[in-house]
Amino acid sequence: MLQKKICMLGGFAVGKTSLVRRFVQSIFSETYLTTVGVKIDKKSVAFPDKTVDLILWDLAGEDDIGSFRVSYVRGATGLVLVVDGTRPATLAVALTLRERVEAEFGAMPFVLLFNKSDLADRWAIPDGEIDELRQLGWQIYLTSALSGAYVEDAFRQLASMVAK
Amino acid sequence: METLRQLLVGREISELSRVAHLLDEPEQLAAAVGSVLPDAAARASHAQLGEAFAPIVERAAQRSIQKNPRTLTDILYPVFLPAIRKSIGEKIDQTFQSLNESLRHIFTWHGLKWRFEAWRTGASFSEVVLNHSLVYRVEHVFLIDRSSGLLIAHVTAENAMSEDPQLISSMLSAIQDFVRDSFNEKEQSGLDTIRFGELRLWSEVGPFATLVSVIRGNPPEELHEIIRDVLLRIHDEYSQALEHFDGDSSQLASVETQLQTCVELKHEESNEGFPWLVVAAVLLVLIPTGIWFFLSWQSGQRWQAYVSRVASQPGIIVAEQTARDGQFYIAGLRDPLAADPQSLLSGTQVDPARVHANWQFYQSLEPEFVLKRLTASLAPPDSVRLSVVKDRIVAEGEANATWISRAQAAAQQLSAGGPVFDISRVRDVSPEARAAEHWQAYVSRLGTQPGIIVAEQKIRDGQFYIAGLRDPLAADPQSLLSGTQVDPGRVHSQWQFYQSLEPEFVLKRLTASLYPLKSVRLSIVDNRIVAEGEAPDTWIDRARAAARLLSAGGPEFDISKVRDVSPEAREAEHWQYYVSRLEAQPGIIVAQQTERGGQFYISGLRDPLAADPKALLSGTQVDPARVHSQWQFFQSLDPKFVVKRLTASLSPPKSVQLSIIQGRILVVGEAPAGWISRAQAAAEQLSADGVVLDVSQLRELNLAELNHLREAIQTTDIFFSSGRVVPGPEQSPVLDRLADQLKEFAENARKAGVTARFMLTGHSDTTGRETANASISAARAETVRALLNKRGVAPELLLVRGAGTFEPAVPENENSRTGNSTNRRVSVTVNLE
Ligand SMILES: Nc1nc2c(ncn2[C@@H]2O[C@H](COP(=O)(O)OP(=O)(O)OP(=O)(O)O)[C@@H](O)[C@H]2O)c(=O)[nH]1
Ligand SMILES: [Mg+2]
Repeated sequence: MLQKKICMLGGFAVGKTSLVRRFVQSIFSETYLTTVGVKIDKKSVAFPDKTVDLILWDLAGEDDIGSFRVSYVRGATGLVLVVDGTRPATLAVALTLRERVEAEFGAMPFVLLFNKSDLADRWAIPDGEIDELRQLGWQIYLTSALSGAYVEDAFRQLASMVAK
Repeated sequence: METLRQLLVGREISELSRVAHLLDEPEQLAAAVGSVLPDAAARASHAQLGEAFAPIVERAAQRSIQKNPRTLTDILYPVFLPAIRKSIGEKIDQTFQSLNESLRHIFTWHGLKWRFEAWRTGASFSEVVLNHSLVYRVEHVFLIDRSSGLLIAHVTAENAMSEDPQLISSMLSAIQDFVRDSFNEKEQSGLDTIRFGELRLWSEVGPFATLVSVIRGNPPEELHEIIRDVLLRIHDEYSQALEHFDGDSSQLASVETQLQTCVELKHEESNEGFPWLVVAAVLLVLIPTGIWFFLSWQSGQRWQAYVSRVASQPGIIVAEQTARDGQFYIAGLRDPLAADPQSLLSGTQVDPARVHANWQFYQSLEPEFVLKRLTASLAPPDSVRLSVVKDRIVAEGEANATWISRAQAAAQQLSAGGPVFDISRVRDVSPEARAAEHWQAYVSRLGTQPGIIVAEQKIRDGQFYIAGLRDPLAADPQSLLSGTQVDPGRVHSQWQFYQSLEPEFVLKRLTASLYPLKSVRLSIVDNRIVAEGEAPDTWIDRARAAARLLSAGGPEFDISKVRDVSPEAREAEHWQYYVSRLEAQPGIIVAQQTERGGQFYISGLRDPLAADPKALLSGTQVDPARVHSQWQFFQSLDPKFVVKRLTASLSPPKSVQLSIIQGRILVVGEAPAGWISRAQAAAEQLSADGVVLDVSQLRELNLAELNHLREAIQTTDIFFSSGRVVPGPEQSPVLDRLADQLKEFAENARKAGVTARFMLTGHSDTTGRETANASISAARAETVRALLNKRGVAPELLLVRGAGTFEPAVPENENSRTGNSTNRRVSVTVNLE
């Protein structure tokens, strides 16, 4: 049995819970119920040589970095950073959260998701900016919890990174 | 004898001496008595012996206890234990009995089941109850990584159900994190016990891993010890693997056997020698009392919390309250508008059925209640806001008189003991009050008007009366009414005229009576009226008289700054101004001018293109009738005039521009060759007068193509039958082609900057009268113009003329022979402008 603790990090209402629900249960809901504290889900990801159980800690989104409970991330081996593609400010939030976590527990593998890609008309992140981040060698996905686009891919990618 | 004696009693003697010796030697005697004592005691009378021994034994025991109590305890231990046990047993039996008694009437499912069990096993019912209430079982054991919350191992008792243990494990550690964070707990500590109904979670925290057991039932305290031991052993054995746990639990698989020992723990298999009964009995006594105390303490606490909550409610006065036999009594006063004490019970966990309340209604005088009542009874209009300000109730806003008087009545009623009800900030907006307000605004407006003195004013029966003085020149009080919303029909005014001596009124009056000339300006300076400027002496005299009249009480009228000026002098001045204006005009040369007997004479030269001297008179105040001018025309050589003249005479095409640069006239652009030669001729003429007209920069317009077209147009003729003014249908293609050519030519000419016009000349043959021929020829030209116009040629480009018989194409006699005169036609000529 190989298990890994993964934390979902990102601003308020960026779609962390929705992404987990899409990945774990393959469902999506429009209604927004903000996460209080933490919600834990599990999903097994099978690779040819092994199977990893991802224990997904869906943390409450905090735009205010000050109130972020960093202790929930203790023992995590990977991060899913979630950005709302229609709100450029959430990118800064996600990056700050990552810095905060790294400062506390050291560097760890992560994937960066620009979520809500289905809302093309309200998309507010310039392609150039995403490309720049890709230049850093980061794993970046334009996901949609609504359509499911790239959700599976992103989690699988992270699973393969943490299972090494 | 001796021998005989020896022989006869020698044996007895030696026996006697042995006995005597025995008696003499205490040791020997003791040994001897010791050997017979038990038997002797046994044979002795019981009562006597007991009595004889008692004091001795008592003293002996006493001494022994004084010396070392342990000895006796040790000695007596085997004796006491069964005794104590027996007595406790009896005690418990009694307890069971009474418990039995009390449980007898309970018909719960468990009760019945246990009763059956008691009957079946022969145990007392109470024993069965106790037995069941101490049952517990460890159903799950989780070994959880401390840092990540990941599950290391998990074992489950048989038949125990559970959700995904991995999730449970993570959630448990999330809860621990949460508690630690929220209550600022130390690293090491955490939650050790959580209870969910029948289940208890006990968690034992180790350096690297936490052991969580899920226990159903009532576990004994020392179970903690057992679990702690297991955790310790696991840490001993696997410390390396635990410390470096990274989610891969394969190396730690064997931990499960250790955990298994925990899961096997349950009531039946616990320590055999353990005196369950005693513990049970003690617990049986302690737990219920404890619980009872706790519950009654808790419900008392809850009741007190409820009482203080009720008491803190505004509008509720708790007069008395008590808790007796698990019932709660409360009595007091409450305002009907206060919170309902019954509804306050919700959420307090006080059982409403056990609450006996007795509330009397009363009217609270706390401001907020008074406010509520006032709001309900006075029903204030939307425009009024009631609020509590420092224990006073303040009404603010606007209301009509009826509401205000009701509010006043309410305020008076309240005054006895209640809070103050302040309605002074409510504005009366009933129509009368509003009208009175408007009236006052109007009156104060009048008061500030200069020249109006309000002597008295009043309102009676909805009518307004006002009386006072007003200057005739002051604002009209009637007209001031407009915009004040005062109904003019209800205003009764009485105004006496008077002459205000305020300077501005005096000024007005002076202006009206003196008709000051334009050259005099009247103004108010420091409450004096000052006249300044020039005036004829007649006016000055009149002004002086007025000043004298004024001096009685009025403001001073200062005319010292008015210069005496005769009309003649002024007219001369105006004339000179006119002359200088003429002299400044380009193209006008004044030769002579003079003024004699009120008449003005002027003579000189003027260019026809210069301004008209007569027109320049306007605005100079010189009377034109008295002006006598003599102007000779001349051609000014001022370049401006030259340009004007050239523009008029040469009519340059649009592609040519004339401009004046440093006194020279420059002609630039493109023009037809003919025009250029005319311009060159003009330049030569002008050079004789010393004016430079530079035509060197003119370029010839390329008209070769146009010439070709012009040729084609000018050789075209439209022919007519004899006596007809409309061409026959065979002429249609000719007209079509001609129209196209004309349009093309006009367009090209326009591009070249010139305007092309086409002269349509009608002709006739010589048959008939000459006048008829003239009109026929003109009519033919007109028809062609119409036909060309119909084909899109702009009418303004087409000129028409009738030539009659005077411009025949061929000599008439030849035509007479053919009888088909080529002279009945319309010809076209092209003019470029
Ligand atoms: N259109 C669209 N809406 C999305 C998507 N993902 C999430 N949403 C919506 O965004 C809202 C917030 O989603 P959540 O998943 O609750 O966001 P969260 O990050 O968990 O929020 P917190 O728990 O408050 O931090 C919800 O109304 C979702 O329906 C997406 O990919 N596309
Ligand atoms: Mg959420």
